[in-house]
Amino acid sequence: MGFFRGLDAEAYDRSYRDRDLAQRMLAYFRPYRHRLLIAVLAILVIAAAGALSPIFVSRSIDLMVARGMEDYLILFSAILFTIGVIVWGANWVRRRLITRSVGDVMLALRRDAFVASADHDLSFYDEFASGRVVSRITSDTQEFAQVIVLVTDLFTQLFQAIILLVVLIRINTRLMLWVLSMLPAIFAIALGFRRIARKVTRRGFRAMANVNSAIKEAVTGIAIAKNFRQEASIFEAFARVNKSSYQANVRRGFVLALVFPTLNALAGVGTAILVYIGGLSNAAGIVTAGAWYLFIISLDRFWFPMLNLSAFWTQVQNGLSAAERVFALIDAESKVVQRDRLRVPALKGQIEFDKLDFHYKPGEPVLQRFDLHIRAGENLALVGHTGAGKSTLAKLISRFYEYQGGELRIDGHDIRTFDLRQYRSQLGIVPQTPFLFSGTVMDNIRYAKPETGEDEIERIARQIGGGEWFETLSEGLLTEAGERGNRLSMGIRQMVSLMRVLVQQPAIFILDEATASIDPFTEYQIQQALGLILKDSTSILIAHRLSTVRASDRIIVLQDGQIIEEGDHEALMTADGHYAELYSTYFRHQSLEYVEQAAGFATPEDTT
Amino acid sequence: MGVAEFILPQTFEPDRRTPLRWLLSHTRRYWWLVIITLIGALGNAGLAAAVPIFVGQAFNLMLTESPDLQHLGTIAIWIVASQLIRGVLQLGRNFGAELIGQKLERNIREELYVSLLGKSMTFHNLQPVGDTMARATNDVREINLMFNPGLNLVLGSGNFMIMPLLLAPQYHPSLILIPALFLIGYVLAIWQYLHELRPISDSVRRAFGQLNAHLAEAIDGIEVVKGTAQEQAEVARFTLNAQSFRNAFVHQGDVEARYLPLLLLGLAEAGAFLHALLLYQAGFLDIGQVIAFVGLIQLFGFPTFVSLFAYSQVSLGMAGARRILDLIKRKSELNRNPSGAHLQISGEIEFQEVDFAYQEDDLALEGISIRIEPGQTVAIVGQTGTGKTTLVKLLNRTYDVTNGQVRVDGVDVRQWDLEALRQQISIIEQDIFLFSRTIAENIAFGHPQASQVEIESAAKAAQAHEFILSFKDGYETIIGERGVTLSGGQRQRLALARAFLTDPRILILDDSTSSIDSATEDQIQRAIFRAAEGRTTLIITHRLSQIRWADKIIVMRKGCIAASGSHDELMSSSEAYQRIFTHYEGG
Repeated sequence: MGFFRGLDAEAYDRSYRDRDLAQRMLAYFRPYRHRLLIAVLAILVIAAAGALSPIFVSRSIDLMVARGMEDYLILFSAILFTIGVIVWGANWVRRRLITRSVGDVMLALRRDAFVASADHDLSFYDEFASGRVVSRITSDTQEFAQVIVLVTDLFTQLFQAIILLVVLIRINTRLMLWVLSMLPAIFAIALGFRRIARKVTRRGFRAMANVNSAIKEAVTGIAIAKNFRQEASIFEAFARVNKSSYQANVRRGFVLALVFPTLNALAGVGTAILVYIGGLSNAAGIVTAGAWYLFIISLDRFWFPMLNLSAFWTQVQNGLSAAERVFALIDAESKVVQRDRLRVPALKGQIEFDKLDFHYKPGEPVLQRFDLHIRAGENLALVGHTGAGKSTLAKLISRFYEYQGGELRIDGHDIRTFDLRQYRSQLGIVPQTPFLFSGTVMDNIRYAKPETGEDEIERIARQIGGGEWFETLSEGLLTEAGERGNRLSMGIRQMVSLMRVLVQQPAIFILDEATASIDPFTEYQIQQALGLILKDSTSILIAHRLSTVRASDRIIVLQDGQIIEEGDHEALMTADGHYAELYSTYFRHQSLEYVEQAAGFATPEDTT
Repeated sequence: MGVAEFILPQTFEPDRRTPLRWLLSHTRRYWWLVIITLIGALGNAGLAAAVPIFVGQAFNLMLTESPDLQHLGTIAIWIVASQLIRGVLQLGRNFGAELIGQKLERNIREELYVSLLGKSMTFHNLQPVGDTMARATNDVREINLMFNPGLNLVLGSGNFMIMPLLLAPQYHPSLILIPALFLIGYVLAIWQYLHELRPISDSVRRAFGQLNAHLAEAIDGIEVVKGTAQEQAEVARFTLNAQSFRNAFVHQGDVEARYLPLLLLGLAEAGAFLHALLLYQAGFLDIGQVIAFVGLIQLFGFPTFVSLFAYSQVSLGMAGARRILDLIKRKSELNRNPSGAHLQISGEIEFQEVDFAYQEDDLALEGISIRIEPGQTVAIVGQTGTGKTTLVKLLNRTYDVTNGQVRVDGVDVRQWDLEALRQQISIIEQDIFLFSRTIAENIAFGHPQASQVEIESAAKAAQAHEFILSFKDGYETIIGERGVTLSGGQRQRLALARAFLTDPRILILDDSTSSIDSATEDQIQRAIFRAAEGRTTLIITHRLSQIRWADKIIVMRKGCIAASGSHDELMSSSEAYQRIFTHYEGG
């Protein structure tokens, strides 16, 4: 699959100079150099033994011809048995040592890559799809570590070929030239096949991807087709896709089926040439029968390394570029830079934006000389159209992004001087899509404070409606949340992420309110949980619910990164400015007046 | 006896008694390919064995006093010719196996799909789509790979194993000894090896799965991880997973390192050599025969190195076949009842003491009794998982009740002709599925003969006309992966348009979308109110306006009806209901 890679370059990718790359890779292998040294010795033994065995056989043929084999019979056989055992034993040593090295290098590299990833700030993850980051940490590290297996396998065969080469040249140079002259042809054919195979495989994969997505639709669509009794129509679509997949695969299968027959036929030609020319040389007394035999059986031993060599280089290159991708992930520079790592005292929650400048991309300012003072304990709602800068403010307070000018002070301290972990442990952040980890609901609630006891969690969870919300779950608080929380409803996921904050009791609460629709009963409980949090912390609310806006102490109306209005709901509505417009765009349908007026919607003259 | 819901007039009936018989009956249709493959495999191995035999002859020729050089040339030509023929035969084996695999993949996938189409809605609602997908793609592919490279290589290497056994005794009967010993040792060693390796490879796969799943989760949730300052805990968790993968990986490597057939091969080569030399000295063999025999033994190299992964491929394929056949054979318990009631529905619905369980003794619904008049609009409210969706799916017999009765127009739904019942009941699901076809085709899906005018007026009634025209291709716009993507609200309105066209007597709407802005909300509300007119309508909803104006409201809690009645009745009788309407006021 190697050749699919390299198409997915990311902006943080860099090219390393070959020397730097090699040094860095070697550094990972250095702790295991003793192991690898022994493995290399084992490889030499395997190669030597592999080359020796045909030499002994050929030598014994000469002795047989000369009728002098009797004396050596036992010796030669013993040597051959020993060679068989040694090859197996050395191979055992080699595999064990190399497996360990590969496993350990992979582990070290993965750990480094993950530690670096956990350290990158969120602007990194905004830019780069998380799936790709994951594949760098798991697949690329593996591919890199496998390079060592490739290299050692190749060396074994090359050693063996070289030993035979030297022996054969010494026996007869002319005959050896015949063997060597065939190599370029073999090499060229192997390369050519690789190219064609690669092409048809790529085409096959593309056809496969199409088929898979079509099958996905065909399978997913069954339920709806049955609803409307349209089975026959979707069967036709399915049959079409199934047929085209078959055709693409048969074509690919034919090319791949051709590879080995061709190579075998070529080997036959090579053997025939050696049988003939070697026989002539033997007749002319140039080579002995044993040497002739050696030439014939050595052909295979030259073939294999050559076939492998044709694949080797691309595979090693894949390994190297995998290494490059992992190192690029490790080396990506953090944009958030702390000037200091001061201990953070218990915060009161006063927040000050002072002439702050911020942009995500140079040349596209989001905030310019932005001023905002949030009092300790204040509940502040941010409203505005998408892109007005609401989340930006929240993310800057979370210190997920670096700002370019001005200052941001928390309780009067520059946010850049804090120890970030200590600071963030005093923040309670609820993202727009609540994120749960696999594990129980209980574990998720205490995610930020894993040391909290179960009784304490249950006490907190019961603050809302006596705990009815979790009692309806199959196992109560011990219900499994599933991967990313997928076994729980959206409403429960929101409850859990609010509970998380209640356990944490942060000084500053940042809420990016969810927009998903929740049943009115759960909704009511979410509002209650929210109320509890708001009571005890400074809150920054990116509000999407009317009730949340109305629960805040102050509403900040943002437009293009600027505060254009502020005040409470009533005052702003009376002013009839931008807020009133936002209200009729986003909040009107959540009001009771709207609900009352909905009865008129059914009248047919509405449709034109 | 249940009658399948979809049957394709088929000419071929496979034997479905066991996975093996099933695969055999599929394969038998291509007996000529099987013969080509078998001949190819035998010929390939036989001609591979011809090389050492020719080489031996060449040696004997040259060791005579005055060798005939022309004869040497003939032998060389024979070698070339035999290897060219071998190439053709090997191609026949490879491509024959490949073709069988591809044909079976195609046919089995079709058989699976037809059987899926024939199964009841109950089956499809309970069967996770992801799982069905995996069978239709991966498992079917495994069967293909079982033939090539799996069985192809098993067959190929099997013939390579047999050739020395067949050909060596021609030189001397006792020469069968080493090949026979090797064969026995090889079979035992491979059996032991596969046995030992299987649980270990499973644990490697499991460890990797866990590593990958947790990593993906941590990276996806990186905002939460960082926001709660839990980076170190995640690193510790990751390291633990990576470490246990490393251990499993090394364990697997250790077992692989002990691969015994490699040792057996070395011993066989030495033993064969010794045996041949002894016979040579006793005068039973000449040099050419020694050379030929030693060359024959080398044929064992192919099965030693190649066949390993072929065996696991075959066992993977069998496992895939078992899973697919299992799915095909799973009973679909709903009877279509074609002789049942076939009437125009007026829309009266009654649930009487209904219990329902997906699995035995785990009731999802309990003691449900409710009566709905024709033309009424009913809002069903409650938390997720309280049985709202299950309740409405009893109506069109997606599921059948465990106890009690569901009646439509006074007739138990099980007494209706299923086709007539479903044609008059439309369900709009929460996740609205649209086909990768044009918008017009999607709207007309249940009513393919609809004219453009009818389609457009349905779209207008569903408040979808405007946004459809905003696309460049209007009604001809293709939806899906390679076409436009639609928002949840837009998909919902297309589904409503679909319902306007089929004009069902009972409409069931699982409405859980939310609108970010009031204008969209207006349109969706209008479309739904309009759709509810003139038919019995059940809406599972979170929208207060729909609850407020429904003729009847059913509040579900833990599989039971917690309260029901009109808005005014519930405002006075249910405290929980009252709260949801009042908390909007105060804030």
